[in-house]
Amino acid sequence: MAADDTELLKRLLAGEQQAFRELVSTYQGAMRAVAYAIVGNRHADEAVQDAWLAVVRNLVSFESRSSLKTWLLTITANAAKNRYKQNRREVLLDDLPSPHGTIDDDRFSSDGHWLLAPLAWHQDTPEALLTEHELRECLEQTLLSLPQLQSSVLVLRDRQGLELEEICNLLQISLSNARVLVHRARLKVFATVEHFEETGEC
Amino acid sequence: MLTCKQYVARSSDYLDGQLTFRQRLQMRHHVLFCPNCRRFTRQMRLMGAALKTLPEPPPVDLEMTVKRMMREQSGGQ
Repeated sequence: MAADDTELLKRLLAGEQQAFRELVSTYQGAMRAVAYAIVGNRHADEAVQDAWLAVVRNLVSFESRSSLKTWLLTITANAAKNRYKQNRREVLLDDLPSPHGTIDDDRFSSDGHWLLAPLAWHQDTPEALLTEHELRECLEQTLLSLPQLQSSVLVLRDRQGLELEEICNLLQISLSNARVLVHRARLKVFATVEHFEETGEC
Repeated sequence: MLTCKQYVARSSDYLDGQLTFRQRLQMRHHVLFCPNCRRFTRQMRLMGAALKTLPEPPPVDLEMTVKRMMREQSGGQ
């Protein structure tokens, strides 16, 4: 367990209000992505609230075998599954069109070469890319427009930095499905950034 | 040799370390000769880094959540 986590845990056990604020601010985003994948938008916030209460009840018994983040996300997945036994298996790989499309077959000629090559972006660091307030909003909107599982898998993988295997365990999906989902999501976000770089608009 | 379309189809697996050694070599061989796919990969990495950097909005229900948690903690002791 990271030193920061140990310190935070001590303060939480002592009932320090600021420690709870830090905990919620740091981890609620990732927890919501897990809950969203399992119970959808309508119930995600309730599942996260359930999870927070379960976290408080189990703080004393937290053992540092896993990282604090992994522990919190496991509790979230369980809270979501316990409360809403919704069957989403059949729609797992359903796809939806994205506002700016994706990088699909139309971009390639019949011999598999680029027909319309990727446009060069104006910036070459993430910080420079994100200085545009509109692009930040546009990315958030695109993440929301993705199908439930695509969005969650992408957020957990790229935004939260989880390993694919960890995501599979939390969401109980196969590795091959996770790979398909993250790839589809990335191509759509790629198309969004490309569109923004080309037009300056979302 | 891979086509650009095949290259793009495998790009996420490449970035996530999900390809075999042989497949990775095929990918590297392709970009050696293909500036378009080189650019595509560079921008895919950039996009991933941007998502990681994207600031998270503070939780709207922060204070309420904290209050509930503290109440739960003191009630349980």
